[in-house]
Amino acid sequence: MNSVIFFQLLISGLSVGSIYAVVALALVLPFKASGILNFGQGEMVTVGAYTALILTAMGIPFLLVFTLTIAVGMLFGLLIERCIIRPIMSAPEFTLVIATFAIGLILKSGIRLYWQDNLYNIDSPFSGGTILFSGLALNPQYLWVVFCTLCLVGFLSYLFKYTNLGKAMRGVAQSHDASRLMGIRVERVLLFTWALATGIGAMAGILLAPIVGVNPEMGHLILKALVAATIGGFTSLPGALMGGIFLGLVETYSGALFGSTLKNVIPFILLVCFLLFKPYGLMGKEPVFRL
Amino acid sequence: MRKKFSIQSAAILLGCAAFAFLPIYLGNYYIYVLSLIFINIILALGLNLLTGNSGQISLCHSSFMALGSYSFTLLNNIYGLNPFLSTAISLLFVAMMGFLVGFPARRLSGIYLALATLAFLALVQICIEEFADLTGGIRGLKLNKLNDFLYTSTFSYLVAWALCLISIYTAFQIMNSKLGRNFDAVRTSPYAAQALGISVNRVKLIAFTVCAAYAGLAGALLSWVVGYIDPVEFGVSASLRYITFIVIGGMGNIYGSILGAVVLTLLPEALRFVKEYSDLVYAALLLLSLIFMPKGLISYRQILKKNTVHA
Repeated sequence: MNSVIFFQLLISGLSVGSIYAVVALALVLPFKASGILNFGQGEMVTVGAYTALILTAMGIPFLLVFTLTIAVGMLFGLLIERCIIRPIMSAPEFTLVIATFAIGLILKSGIRLYWQDNLYNIDSPFSGGTILFSGLALNPQYLWVVFCTLCLVGFLSYLFKYTNLGKAMRGVAQSHDASRLMGIRVERVLLFTWALATGIGAMAGILLAPIVGVNPEMGHLILKALVAATIGGFTSLPGALMGGIFLGLVETYSGALFGSTLKNVIPFILLVCFLLFKPYGLMGKEPVFRL
Repeated sequence: MRKKFSIQSAAILLGCAAFAFLPIYLGNYYIYVLSLIFINIILALGLNLLTGNSGQISLCHSSFMALGSYSFTLLNNIYGLNPFLSTAISLLFVAMMGFLVGFPARRLSGIYLALATLAFLALVQICIEEFADLTGGIRGLKLNKLNDFLYTSTFSYLVAWALCLISIYTAFQIMNSKLGRNFDAVRTSPYAAQALGISVNRVKLIAFTVCAAYAGLAGALLSWVVGYIDPVEFGVSASLRYITFIVIGGMGNIYGSILGAVVLTLLPEALRFVKEYSDLVYAALLLLSLIFMPKGLISYRQILKKNTVHA
């Protein structure tokens, strides 16, 4: 493998990994805040992609499409949290896992009913073709994905460090009761956390749509995002980012070196290994149980 | 009290036996639907032992079923084995796979277990697609029907009926034994169970093996009855469908498994004209019953019973 191919794979691995990382972030956020893992997050990616498809077809300029798609994603999050998750917040874990799964399946089959199994293309906003850079052919969409991920990470770190809302979210993640005593409206913070997470999911959808095309099975991405989140330890945002990038790189290089069968299998082998030997991931902490 | 019970059980036995004579009166379609009900009851029983009684989330029930189906069909097509023998071998094989999955999974719980079982499901699906020359890939696999008599719909119906009764009986035996009480103890509180001297890991492992054995049996029967394997039937949505069976019927209750399987097998058949909505209907039903009826349909029977006692 010469150095050009090596860097070529590095770029595509980074961009694939960025998308995994974005969806993994969207999984970890509500999990940290409320202890609920949203297995329907993959379908939020699909929802984002189809929203972008509709809006683009209406001839709206790209930046507005981008903003509106995230807004629609957030709206979905608000509705799901308020109408479905909040009434069963105190239910056992089994109920919550299955409920989020069911939400995802409802969204997916709804989309499939309307659009069938067709594959739609969204044009990349960057129509200039590939950029040649000292022997490397760079797809601008890949660079755009990496750029958006970096912006998202910057936004999240600003949110959690400097804003009251972010501090409230960190408090809620530690203890609902203590936050309530400090005058934080826990329900409202949870609502916002869900909206933020689904908005991020929708953003992943619009980033992914020009690369793989819009189809109802886009939500399968959640499997990879779950692997990424597990590698990162499920309770750590930097961990999710690292896990996503790591998974993207491993997948790309193993695909290039050993073929596609191994590329498909390797995320799950990684997942099983991590669950067995390091169940709380690279950055997670083992929770303490009280009897 | 004891006498009344024996009259009841005699009535139940007679009712069960009556099913054996139904092929004389009913058309092929009804026989097919009844066979599907028997298969789904077996599936729901297995899943309920693992999820309802031992409290372990499993999202790979459909993969165990897939393993059963494929091993039955391959044994039949390649080696030409007698279907009874293939069923037995598939059952043992899938139980062994359940043991292998349970081995790492017994250390996990909650969402981590859900993840691990999801990973197993994805692996099985990838294997089905990658080894297409053996499994037929996404085009599916057809059963070679060697002997005309053993593969008629009437005969496979009778086999499904008999094995379903045996499965129900076994489930009752398991739940009335020490093992069944251990299952319930592990669900209620693994720490308390451990403190009482129950080996939690071993109980979880046995629960996985038993659950997989039931699913393998159901998978083998499905190939026998339908004669064709459609790999789409073994995805996540199928696993979720089986979870719907036990959630709507009643978690941790054998009557609940039976009730859920019967209701939810008949419902899509009755709603055949809206076939494309089936996933939507299943998921919506699952969600609604999780929110409004968390103890399942079987809880209404208990409410009724209570009311009549008080009245």
